[in-house]
Amino acid sequence: MSVARRAFIQMSVGATVGILFTPTVWVALDDVSIWTQNWPWIPRLKYGEVKSVPTVSKMCDSGCAVKVRTCAGEAFAVAGNEDNPLSGGGVCPLCANSAQVKNSPNRIKTPMLNGEEISWDKAKEVVAEKLDAAGSSVAVISGDQNGTVNEVFSALLADKGSDAFYMMPCDMQAADKAWTGLMGGYGQIGYDLEGADVVLLAGADALESWGPTVANLKAFAANGSGKFLFAGPMQTKTAAVADKWVPVPAEGMAAFTLGVAYYVLQAGMTVDVADFAPFRAMVMNDYSPAKVEAATGVKADRMAAIAKQLLAASNPVVVPGGSVAAHGAAFALNLLLGGAMKAVPEFGKAVSTAMSRSEMLNKDILEGVNADLLFVYEANPAYALPEQVKAGFTVAFDSVNTETTASADLVLPTLHGFERFDDLASPYGVADATYSLGVPVSKPSVNAACAATFVLGLADLGFETFEEVLEAKAEAVGADMDALAEGGAYVAPGETPVAAGLAANVLGKAAVPVKGSGALGLVPYTLLNVGTANRATTPNAPCTISNNQLLGDKMVVMMNSATAKQLGVGVGSKVKLSGGNGECEALVQVFEGVLTGAVAAPLGMGHTVGDEFSKGKGDNVYKILTVSSEAAAGASTWAGSTVNVAKI
Amino acid sequence: MHVKEFKIKWGMVIDIDKCTGCGACMVGCQVENNIAPMTKSDPYNYAQALTKDRDDASNKLRTLTWMNVYELSNGKAFPEHETAYLPRPCMQCGNPACVPVCPVVATDKNEEGGIVSQIYPRCIGCRYCMAACPYHARYFNWWDPLWPEGMDKGLSPAASVRPRGVVEKCNFCHSRYMEAKNQARMDGEDPMNLSEGAYTTACQEICPTGAIHFGDLNNPEHAVHELHKSPNAFRLLEKLGLSPQVYYMSEREWVRKQGDNYNAGGSGH
Repeated sequence: MSVARRAFIQMSVGATVGILFTPTVWVALDDVSIWTQNWPWIPRLKYGEVKSVPTVSKMCDSGCAVKVRTCAGEAFAVAGNEDNPLSGGGVCPLCANSAQVKNSPNRIKTPMLNGEEISWDKAKEVVAEKLDAAGSSVAVISGDQNGTVNEVFSALLADKGSDAFYMMPCDMQAADKAWTGLMGGYGQIGYDLEGADVVLLAGADALESWGPTVANLKAFAANGSGKFLFAGPMQTKTAAVADKWVPVPAEGMAAFTLGVAYYVLQAGMTVDVADFAPFRAMVMNDYSPAKVEAATGVKADRMAAIAKQLLAASNPVVVPGGSVAAHGAAFALNLLLGGAMKAVPEFGKAVSTAMSRSEMLNKDILEGVNADLLFVYEANPAYALPEQVKAGFTVAFDSVNTETTASADLVLPTLHGFERFDDLASPYGVADATYSLGVPVSKPSVNAACAATFVLGLADLGFETFEEVLEAKAEAVGADMDALAEGGAYVAPGETPVAAGLAANVLGKAAVPVKGSGALGLVPYTLLNVGTANRATTPNAPCTISNNQLLGDKMVVMMNSATAKQLGVGVGSKVKLSGGNGECEALVQVFEGVLTGAVAAPLGMGHTVGDEFSKGKGDNVYKILTVSSEAAAGASTWAGSTVNVAKI
Repeated sequence: MHVKEFKIKWGMVIDIDKCTGCGACMVGCQVENNIAPMTKSDPYNYAQALTKDRDDASNKLRTLTWMNVYELSNGKAFPEHETAYLPRPCMQCGNPACVPVCPVVATDKNEEGGIVSQIYPRCIGCRYCMAACPYHARYFNWWDPLWPEGMDKGLSPAASVRPRGVVEKCNFCHSRYMEAKNQARMDGEDPMNLSEGAYTTACQEICPTGAIHFGDLNNPEHAVHELHKSPNAFRLLEKLGLSPQVYYMSEREWVRKQGDNYNAGGSGH
């Protein structure tokens, strides 16, 4: 059939008109525009009964007492626990995101031996074999400062004839070395921040990261008339709300405290201890305000004014942070003032062969760890102490992937805090002995297990499961397990501290400021939303990290304008910081709240392993810290770290 | 200018002298309101090689922070320097600048309680409201919300997730208001006369220092009723006349002065 010209034109016009009138084309175009923009994946909300279940969260160093909000049994948010004095209804920014971390793809899903998935039975065989072979060359590094899990680990060490129990560096350790070690005191030091009328925070960033942060914040809020003074090298977040910020370099904190003690001694205050006379003589001769001013740069009249305020107060307290010497000096000053410092008695042990807390704090991880078999429990030494820790075979227990689990031989996934039994026994700093229990809120979402129960299976320690250990602990504490499980805390009042002496001869030498050889003082600081030595930042927290810490993927360091001028750098300058055995890259921010001649750098960034929220973000400041030996006090410290700063 | 008045006026009084800027309120807010963590890669984007990465949380122009903490400085050099932190939710203005500019009535102030609404399905993403809001309290979803694998299991039942292309903001945890009213009805109480603490926002609840006070500004039985009349209380950009329902408090004069920096000293522009 041939198509005539006319027929062809008729057909074309007909088709054109037809297309114009049929909706098919337009509907198809509309569909294309919609479907190409469609949401590929629509998150669906789960509805159901909403409950608040009390437990504890151990994301931050001291741990938070929380209530986990669940919907149809699934944890979705964290709220404070008003019934527990550690929380009083508040939560720290790390623990506030704990439910999200529980569901994070960064969780370790199953036991791994050198990168191969293995079963829990196989893992137990491997560890038992290594344990036999290692003899007494076994060590434990714990990232938990106040849990009974430490009793289980230390009892395992005792069973093997080892005492190599290490905690990650913390102020609790410096406090114990000063109080129990140097001054022969009893109990764990605590500070009644709520009851004190003048609080001198001598290096303790108490309202941001130090001690039981949330309890401190609650105490600060409840203490309506108390004056808070913050002494430190940087205007931290604590300083932002304190009544006064006194700029004091970290290495000069002990000398500064003794400088204040000078005036207190001059006012005739005494302590009934054997070495009071030598202590007084030491302070009056070696730490006169003029000498302290020359050594630390803190004006004598500043110290006089602080001493006057402390002396006029009816219940003052000095809260130290940093070196052992700084702690010793503050304890001596507190004893002179007779204020709100407390000695918190330790709770009874659940595992009879376990170490006491003071024994656990005895070994100094900064001096190095070397063992044939090393257990690391929820700590991240490969990130924070890369040079100090060596082991033939490392078993890392953690719930999420970290630098330490990545470099360990055997990785054992622990249950997330909301999936397990756990406890919080008197976090360092609380004024009263406080015991809280955590019970499982959710079912395990990965093939994880309780670390302590695993360890109980390796040796005969008298218990089968960690739950039994906690029952024994509650009994030893004298608390009712059911009341604890409902979120209440067992509280026994702190006692008046009594020391055998003031360690006059040691303090006199140890308090002398010792600084590194770098051009600038390094002020490392911790913000809980950025993370701690053991825990990286959490999924929702990066939004809260300010441009003063992180800009893009670059770490930001802060200095005042005088320091910046000295270095010839300005806002946004790219610099290299070198100190210790490492280097860091950073951008400069000018912040007038940093001591002249110092640079402030945030700890907790620069992870090389982990999720996208922390990995590759900023740089790791632990690399440039210098460990210096506090020879006189028999300890090591990071205070006095210095760096050289070069523009790049 | 017409300020809309209501019998119940939910408001905040934020004590800046108690705020340490820890960020717990920001985290609590994101969790409560299903604001997704910012992720660079999109596993559902099958043309990843052809498209650029999404923004992560380092790009503060693209983050969604209904509650945002600002750092203030007294502007003086060391050692006279002082800092303060200022948490900024939506001000729930009495005379909101965002409402009249919305071409589709996706945002309105018309409910008892005085909370400025945001109706996501109605929003066309023109962002006029964002331009109008002097407090930068409104946020645009530049990207679809995306939870890393498995994390969508733990979504909050309090807020539906919003797609890209719409504007969102703080609504004083409105679902908690509805729950509190329902609870009052169940308990045989008056839902229009909630007792203090019956309705709380996520940020207020989680704040470790209790810096955020929340309640009905008109109700003499609520703490904020007295607090917002304190001589140390102030509102941000008071002179713009938007009449925010969020008040701040500080004993520090420099902080109070910065609260109204638009017309500092009254000289104006």
